Amino acid sequence: MATSRRQFVLGGLATIALPIIPGSIAVAMADEGAETVRFAIQKPAGDLNPHIYSGLWGVQDLIFEPLVKYGRGGTFEPGLATAWEIEDDGKRLRLRLREGVTFHDGTPWNADALKWNFDRWIRLDDHSWINFARLFDGLTIVDPHTVEIAFKEAPLGLMFELSYVRPVRFLSPASVADDGTYRDPVGTGPWNLVSSDSAESVLERYPDYWGPKPAFERLEMKVLPDSRNRMAALRAGEIDVTGGDFLAPINATEAKTLKEAGVAVEIAPGSTTMILGFNPDRSKALADDRVRKAISLGFDRNAVSTVLFAGFAQPAGSIFIGSVPLAGTQFDADKRDVAEAKRLLDEAGWTGSPLRSKDGEDLSIELVVSEEQIIGSRSVAEVMQAQLKEIGIDLTIRSVDHASRHSDIPARKYDLAFFLTFGAPYDPYGTVVSYFLSTYDNGVDGKLYTDAEILDPLLLSAMGASMADSEKALQAVYDWLHENTAIAPVLFLPSIWAHSERVESFEPPATEYDTPYEKISVNRS
Amino acid sequence: MSTLVLRRVRHSIVLLILASILCFGLVVSAPGNIAVLIAELRTPGATFEDIRKIEEEIGLNDPLPLRYFDWLGGALQGDFGISYKTGEPVGKAMASRLSTTAILISGGSLFGLLLSFALGFAGAMRPYGLIDSMTRSLALLGASMPSFFVGAMLTYAFAVELRLLPSFGLSGPASLVMPWITIGLLPAAVLSRVVRVGLEEAMSKPYAITAASKGLAKRTILFRDALPNMAPTYINAWGTQTALMVVGSIVVEPLFAWHGVGDLFLQGVRFRDFMVVQACLLIFITFFITLNLLVDIGMMLTDPKLRRQGA
Repeated sequence: MATSRRQFVLGGLATIALPIIPGSIAVAMADEGAETVRFAIQKPAGDLNPHIYSGLWGVQDLIFEPLVKYGRGGTFEPGLATAWEIEDDGKRLRLRLREGVTFHDGTPWNADALKWNFDRWIRLDDHSWINFARLFDGLTIVDPHTVEIAFKEAPLGLMFELSYVRPVRFLSPASVADDGTYRDPVGTGPWNLVSSDSAESVLERYPDYWGPKPAFERLEMKVLPDSRNRMAALRAGEIDVTGGDFLAPINATEAKTLKEAGVAVEIAPGSTTMILGFNPDRSKALADDRVRKAISLGFDRNAVSTVLFAGFAQPAGSIFIGSVPLAGTQFDADKRDVAEAKRLLDEAGWTGSPLRSKDGEDLSIELVVSEEQIIGSRSVAEVMQAQLKEIGIDLTIRSVDHASRHSDIPARKYDLAFFLTFGAPYDPYGTVVSYFLSTYDNGVDGKLYTDAEILDPLLLSAMGASMADSEKALQAVYDWLHENTAIAPVLFLPSIWAHSERVESFEPPATEYDTPYEKISVNRS
Repeated sequence: MSTLVLRRVRHSIVLLILASILCFGLVVSAPGNIAVLIAELRTPGATFEDIRKIEEEIGLNDPLPLRYFDWLGGALQGDFGISYKTGEPVGKAMASRLSTTAILISGGSLFGLLLSFALGFAGAMRPYGLIDSMTRSLALLGASMPSFFVGAMLTYAFAVELRLLPSFGLSGPASLVMPWITIGLLPAAVLSRVVRVGLEEAMSKPYAITAASKGLAKRTILFRDALPNMAPTYINAWGTQTALMVVGSIVVEPLFAWHGVGDLFLQGVRFRDFMVVQACLLIFITFFITLNLLVDIGMMLTDPKLRRQGA
């Protein structure tokens, strides 16, 4: 018996439909879960111990709380401490602890719990990068809800450091094993961890939370490693929220596509800056500030912002965006000026066409790019390559992954490289000290620019200045970097989040290290 | 036949050792220093001194042969070491993920088998007719589309637009459909041509012509005479395609947020987590070689010529 055309077509359709029909029935029967909000995250939460540097920031932030919270624009709000006084020229901190707070296991939050936490980590070498840990000189319990902390010297950026996610947040003393080994993530935060594995982390609202309670009961953090999958899941309504630099980055193209598809996309100015760093130790040409300035003038930040970042990123002229505390004067971003760039190169002795050279050496420069570190940076590099060619510079792009970048940058195996500022709450001090102070070993981050003779004294002066004088002292650092074109700020990067139609209200977080659950309300209809 | 099987087993063991050396060499020669990443995990303030200490601690300065034999010795006892990134035993992470990859590959393989026979037989029933042309076009299309594209298209159609299937996760029958089709479509396309060409060739043989002259139906001849004759060729091709699905799993698992060995491998590569990468490669190679061995045995069982050769 021969197979007719109709039989063939019907058979084919049946083959495809057979697995889809029961599957779709299962989807239709799935519980919508109105009291649940689902976040998509890029990688598993991992080890959530707040005293090591392993877990996912955003999940740790939901479980563990700081003494003070970093608010928008660098304001500090009460957290587990309700009041704080800095005394003795910054060498003593008096904290009033919040009363009526319990950890998720019922253990009370008090001065003993604070001391227990500090004793676990504060004297370990791994944490000496935190100023107040390195300068810690003892803790006195005044009463169950008041402590005084003494420092050998006034720690730089003390209040900023108290708001960090790790290792300064607080774990329940009763949650560890008998020998003190970390066991479970038990904090005082609004969310209590139910389970966590490579596929998802599930959290439930902590009913005895001291602060405003979340508007929904359950939070599921689904691990979706592929960004296309995250976008599809959001559009399909299977997840409610995604975004953030560390939870699940959304690039500008994806944000634009989502917007066009009718998905709610929230774009706010971020707190990080993409900066082009020069390495004069490897490329002699870059030791000349006229060449650095020519490069800065040679590419079009506006075009990069408009075309590659869909206008979501802003051209940068300063190291920090204005919303970062003590950001200093906002310098105008360099506008592309081919004639001026050529003039500067001529003046510096780099002549010739199409490729400039000096003393028989071509003006060839290597730019190291890691797309994993800065999404979209490869495209920026390609624009720069084309535009710098017009002024006679041969730019070679070397694309590397995260691991290679972290080897090559500290080893200074690059001529040009993109860097990111640390962002809130680490800035301004985090970036300024780590990237520019020549005597500070910042290991894997590498240096943006160092000058032991002129820049170091300016930095040390800013680090030692009183709060009243720090603005002026930091401005001197910013001015020097700007006047010498020691760095070329490229873009102020945006904070991008997207959410489904189930989410009725949403507000991006104050820092990229926080998970923005507070303002979320869910449509229950 | 047992001699032939024993010989193949011996070859497989040698192959396994050579492949493990090659993989080890590739992994250790990859750019990027794992010690830098571990130092960064331990403290954001890691210094060069910290990095040097870690290099010593994890034996990065040991001679390569020593590192290889240390690792191989542990692996043979089921100890794949500790993940540099998570600090968890790699064997435990692998064990929890193996079933996911097994579900993906077995489902994809089954889908490939069924679809290839459906398309191949449909074409062979009326060679060079409309259906044959359609199946040929479908096969060409399937073989030309990379799995990430197939997965993206399926997701867009069935999850985003129609909302019939879930776009991610492994949570029930519905979640199996798209990953199975995504990983199985390309093998199905390739195998359908094997079936189609194999059947056509068998149908031109004297025994098929004799059967047709006796008045037997074409379908009967295809199933009874042609199919067993093309079985060894098909089994060989099917085995190769199924083994290659391991590579496909590295693409398909992250695409649908299936947390299997392919996903683990990708994470390991990104972090230079040698222990994870080496363990995954060893599993992939073992699977590949074992499947090839089984295919060889299957071919021997279905092909009298090979059996006689072995004897």
